[in-house]
Amino acid sequence: MKRPVYIREASAIGPQPVFDTDRLERVAAYAGHPLKAVVPELRRYVDPVRGRRMEKVARIGLASALNALDRAGGAAPEAIIVGTGLGCMESTERFFVPLLHNNEDVPNPTAFIQSTHNNVAGQIALATRCTGYNFTYLHRGISFTSALLDGWVQVGLEGRGTVLVGGAESITPDYYLVQRRSGIWKQHDVPNLEVLRATDGGALCGEGAAFFVLGDTPGPGSAVRVVDVDISFRGGPGSLRDRVLAFLDRNGLAAGDIDLLMVGRNGDGPQDAAYKPVEEALPHAGHAAFKHLCGEYFTANAFGLWLLWSGMRTGHLPPEALLRERPAGPLRRGLLVDHFQRTDHSLVLLEVPAA
Amino acid sequence: MSDRVAITGMGVVSALGTNVAENLRALLEERSGIGPITILPTRHRGAIPVAEVALDDEALGALAAPRSLRSWTRTALLGLCAVKEALAQAGIDPAAERTAFLSATTAGGIDKTEPVYDRFYLPEIPEEVAQYLGTHDPGDHAQRIAAELGFRDLVTTLSTACSSSANALMLGDRLLRHGLADVAVVGGTDALCKFTVNGFNSLLILDHEPCRPFDRDRAGLNLGEAAAYLVLETEAHARARGAEVLAVVRGHANTNEAFHATASSPDGTGAYEAMRQALAMAGLAPQDISYVNVHGTGTLNNDASEGIALARLFGGAVPPFSSTKSFTGHTLGAAGAVEAVYSVLAIRHGVHFANLRWRTPLEEAALVPVTRTERGVPVRHVLSSSFGFGGNNTSLVLSAPASMP
Repeated sequence: MKRPVYIREASAIGPQPVFDTDRLERVAAYAGHPLKAVVPELRRYVDPVRGRRMEKVARIGLASALNALDRAGGAAPEAIIVGTGLGCMESTERFFVPLLHNNEDVPNPTAFIQSTHNNVAGQIALATRCTGYNFTYLHRGISFTSALLDGWVQVGLEGRGTVLVGGAESITPDYYLVQRRSGIWKQHDVPNLEVLRATDGGALCGEGAAFFVLGDTPGPGSAVRVVDVDISFRGGPGSLRDRVLAFLDRNGLAAGDIDLLMVGRNGDGPQDAAYKPVEEALPHAGHAAFKHLCGEYFTANAFGLWLLWSGMRTGHLPPEALLRERPAGPLRRGLLVDHFQRTDHSLVLLEVPAA
Repeated sequence: MSDRVAITGMGVVSALGTNVAENLRALLEERSGIGPITILPTRHRGAIPVAEVALDDEALGALAAPRSLRSWTRTALLGLCAVKEALAQAGIDPAAERTAFLSATTAGGIDKTEPVYDRFYLPEIPEEVAQYLGTHDPGDHAQRIAAELGFRDLVTTLSTACSSSANALMLGDRLLRHGLADVAVVGGTDALCKFTVNGFNSLLILDHEPCRPFDRDRAGLNLGEAAAYLVLETEAHARARGAEVLAVVRGHANTNEAFHATASSPDGTGAYEAMRQALAMAGLAPQDISYVNVHGTGTLNNDASEGIALARLFGGAVPPFSSTKSFTGHTLGAAGAVEAVYSVLAIRHGVHFANLRWRTPLEEAALVPVTRTERGVPVRHVLSSSFGFGGNNTSLVLSAPASMP
């Protein structure tokens, strides 16, 4: 039997000042990239000694996860599901580079242990004493939405009460260079608030974490529901626009039912073109974007979902996020449409039930 | 919940051979794949035994035969071989239906990053290096295989250390039961690389001899490389298209110990819970299990806690059990799927596989594994366990299809 799945609470950390709040008030502008996550005071959640030994992705992932649970009234998760495209790259490099340079003479196993891809999910489990289901997805642009889909199935179809899902990513300077050489980042600096006007290729690189407490009942201040999640490789057999309309159709909705469309435009001109037919198919909705605010990274769509959730929960979105104003009226349904490099496609439908 | 999920295709590449038939033959003949390093360029050659797939990259590329070999890592090539075999047996075209591809790995494409890493930073990058700029991350192999074979639906990668591909099977079963896919190809792949060999060596858990799982005098694990994939679909879906059902998925559970970053708890609570919950989901009592394919890495820590958990779950009547890692080494992200394939073979061929090189019971639990491969034994329900680094534990219950006597 299908049950509703609520986002009881959420928490994000990133280049924007969003930690421990449900809205983005003052948008931060950056002159260049990579955009860096602003790491908040973590003493509340991470023992300073342990925190210093953790790499950035683990610190922001753990803090965002624990903050989300805190905001949900100290909820204890029955399952923990994390998405991260690169995992613990900093520890990987700390073990890997000396190994290559010193004829495989490696000092100690600490970095190797910390490089394990499911380290962040394991740290959250240790901190929450959660002995239940513990999964980590590492699949580029759908790392987070794979975790979301799994959690949505657990609560909606498998009867779990509280499930924590999230995404966390942090780029190392070395791997930023490798990815830049592979062509996915812009070769020059562009102010982040202007990047969506760019027509050349490449995105601005960013980083961040966002976690969501999913549950079968509404949270203290959040009645936003995750109605459906869709993931496809190369957008499925047809066009992205067709995939979106079929997704709405399977949920008994038409294009006119969507009040707010949140797209993954990142300033890579040729790749952003894929969103245009989708935007044109939803002419009555407001249009917003998020990757110029947080930068592009494998789990950027976790921030996109956070921003959509924030808009639906509070009725507020910063003007910098809006591509097209929405006609007045209640904001009932929001749709996230995101792709990474035109290979990994995610659709997420949120809804605030009618009072 | 609709009906049960069937296994209708399998593929495996390991040190025992490059397909299911070769793997089965080696298992029946008690022929271990563990030996000296001959392919991986490492200073540990001669010192540490491993279970290598006996094909260098060129031969493996020829066997896997992607349309172009550009940017294919060893991990991805191993995976492609096994996925192709599984799809061929099942008679599935991934492009024809909603076919999910759920793949696991721990090392990902690091095997090809290692030899070229420093040259990523040269002012001019030669083409033989540039082809690997985007292949390091875990998702690369799944994306490459999906593109090669025409998958278009949900394609994702998971990584939970040594339980990774058992978790892929669990996820596939769940998606199919809920009608979120028509077919799911599930499994994992991991090539040997310097990163993992040195990582495990620095943990001081590599045996310098062929490993001895569940033996009192065990001295650690041997690493192996492999890929294994299974095709899953609901029984109704298999029936409708006339596909042969090899086995069915009856139960699974994933637990997490939240005990320590690497070690499992000494009392085996996590292992016990994973096995107990998988049995509960299957609706089976412990005495219904015909054979247990244990995690059995050969490390002091794992085998002690797993042995205690087995004794606790089964009391004085532990079913015939063995660690096939005594043949394949520990193939990490592939291990759960390799052992799921072997579990299905145990059911299909009525075999209890040997736990090679075993002599003396554990101090922690007086358990005697299957020491010689036994043929002609009825195997209806198999419990297969994969317990990961950091206490991520998964157990699967695989059963004979209803039609089998």
